[in-house]
Amino acid sequence: MSNASIRVRLTIWYGSALVLIMILFTSALYLVMSRALQDQIDRSLEEAAKAAARSLEEHRFGPFLLLDDLAQAFPELALLDKFFQIFGPGGQVTLQSANILTQEIPLSQTALKAALVGQATFESVRFQEEIPIRLLSYPIRHGENLVNILRVGTSLRSVEEMLHRLIFVLLVASPLAVAASMLGVWFLAGRALRPVDAITLTAQRIAAGDLTQRIQTRSKDEIGRLASTFNDMIARLEASFRQIRQFSADASHELRTPLTIIKGETELALRKPRSPEMYREALESNLEEIDRMNRIVEELLFLSRADLGEIKVASDPVQLDSLIQEVQQQAIVLGQDRQVETTLGRVEPAQVLGDEWRLREMLLNLVDNAVKYSRHTGTVQLSLVRDGNMACLSVRDHGIGISPEEQGHIFDRFYRTDAARAHFQKGTGLGLSICKWIAEAHHGRIQVESILGQGSCFTILLPLLTSPAT
Amino acid sequence: MRILIVEDEPKVASFIRRALEEENYAVDVSPDGNQGFDLAREVNYDLIILDLMLPGQPGLGVLKALRTAKVKSPVLILTARSEVDQRVKGLDAGADDYLTKPFAIEELLARTRALLRRAGGDPTGVLQVDDLVLNPVTHEVTRGGRRLELTAKEYALLEYFLRNAGRVLTRSMISEHVWDIDFDTFTNVIDVYIRYLRNKIDREHEPSLIHTVRGSGYMLKANT
Repeated sequence: MSNASIRVRLTIWYGSALVLIMILFTSALYLVMSRALQDQIDRSLEEAAKAAARSLEEHRFGPFLLLDDLAQAFPELALLDKFFQIFGPGGQVTLQSANILTQEIPLSQTALKAALVGQATFESVRFQEEIPIRLLSYPIRHGENLVNILRVGTSLRSVEEMLHRLIFVLLVASPLAVAASMLGVWFLAGRALRPVDAITLTAQRIAAGDLTQRIQTRSKDEIGRLASTFNDMIARLEASFRQIRQFSADASHELRTPLTIIKGETELALRKPRSPEMYREALESNLEEIDRMNRIVEELLFLSRADLGEIKVASDPVQLDSLIQEVQQQAIVLGQDRQVETTLGRVEPAQVLGDEWRLREMLLNLVDNAVKYSRHTGTVQLSLVRDGNMACLSVRDHGIGISPEEQGHIFDRFYRTDAARAHFQKGTGLGLSICKWIAEAHHGRIQVESILGQGSCFTILLPLLTSPAT
Repeated sequence: MRILIVEDEPKVASFIRRALEEENYAVDVSPDGNQGFDLAREVNYDLIILDLMLPGQPGLGVLKALRTAKVKSPVLILTARSEVDQRVKGLDAGADDYLTKPFAIEELLARTRALLRRAGGDPTGVLQVDDLVLNPVTHEVTRGGRRLELTAKEYALLEYFLRNAGRVLTRSMISEHVWDIDFDTFTNVIDVYIRYLRNKIDREHEPSLIHTVRGSGYMLKANT
């Protein structure tokens, strides 16, 4: 049963319930109907008996009632298919109506005993084992004495026929009604479940790898809501799959470039005998590229571990003003080759909760970028101010700048601006993604302002540990 | 034969340039899509090696613009993306061949020879006029079975002549296809190299193959 479709199950459940209801209903109908018919017969027998008794008393015919007189007094009796019998107090027939003259229906012992104590008795018998008859034995008393027993009877054949016809109608009509209803349920269930089939088909196509599929739905009912929930889920899946695909495509591209260089340089060096200087150059170039690949792999590993929540960030008080001064000292060395000077702007005391090592890494990364993208003999300025309950660390350069379109992407993994690709080949395109992750891991954020050709300013906002009043 | 490399990774461009120069091709490099497009329109390159990810203008855009501008030089695409649709898009945009990074140097050189050969309409690969034979794969040059030792420039010059046998080649055509962008056209270097080449191919006993066309330039053709 659990393997059958909901449609089949619904139809079967509904059909079974309907069959049960039909059985109860038809039985009740039959019982009520037969009861009502019998009551009606009994009432008419009783009325006829009472009328006959009254007539007997009125005419004072005593026990010698003439059948014709009775028929004259009640002409409808003949029409009503009733017959009369009058028994003596001993139970012997003294008189009976013409329609049963040739036959005898003896008085039963039960009826006789009841008549002796003055009670009327209804009985159902089968005449000649065939014709059903309803009998009323009615005592006629004079004072305390039982004078006669009047019996009125009628055939139940018409009643029985009517009941038989009712049974026949019910037996034929009920299964038809059940069948028609089940057909209706089958159709309606199919209609109601059609969107579910559509969802299944779409889901199969999605399972086959086509995440662009969506379920067509207009209704707002339960299934419509299911379909739109499903669509939302697929949209999110599609987006994250696209991200993953983009990410792995970018990662493989970034790794292929150094591989191409290593392979090319090595093959070129091996084509013919070279001077020791040329071998040395090839090896040095290869070493640079191996270092670059190593850096990419390490940074990728960091980011994927960060995504999985495996990077632990300490939560100790960090004095940002002393951190920024240490970084400035290191930056002076970084800038020596290109004569880029790193200065300190305004530095306010500020303490945050976090991981000093990671914060230093983030700041150094930004300063390193600022020095690299600065012009020869340019300046980089570091500053730290408090703004409300946030500490604002800024790294400002006067270098090549970032165009507004590119500003939206620089924190994306592997994204490198055209200028960065052209001017600075050693980047991995992951540094700023790591900075962003570190800032966010400290419940802060990183933002950039930049004008192309005039320079950039990266600002990290971190929640302060102590209140600004100190 | 003169080749343009449009590639933004300087180290990639550098080893490709050195490999091609070892094969006696004249090579120019452009690190940027827009600059590459300008160069390719200006100079009638025998082959353009085009990277797809470029600053300025992406490689596919450069390629489409070149084909729109009726530049017919064969184009070999270099791509780090190995997806089929990238390659299909490149070929449909007018590229003649593609290579996926990282690639083998020898394969790049073989594809270069194949593209140059196809452009010359000669599928065999060996260049021959009369009894002068040049094999671009082995760089072997023979005249009447006798092996000739040529310098790189002489070889490049002869290859260009052989690929254009029977056609008059002006000095500016020769400088465009045999020398790279740093070459100064106003010197008589071309005439000097033609003389070197003649000394090696056309000896006294043999009919000379390189002819001077007065007022225009030079022509290599078989004597009939």
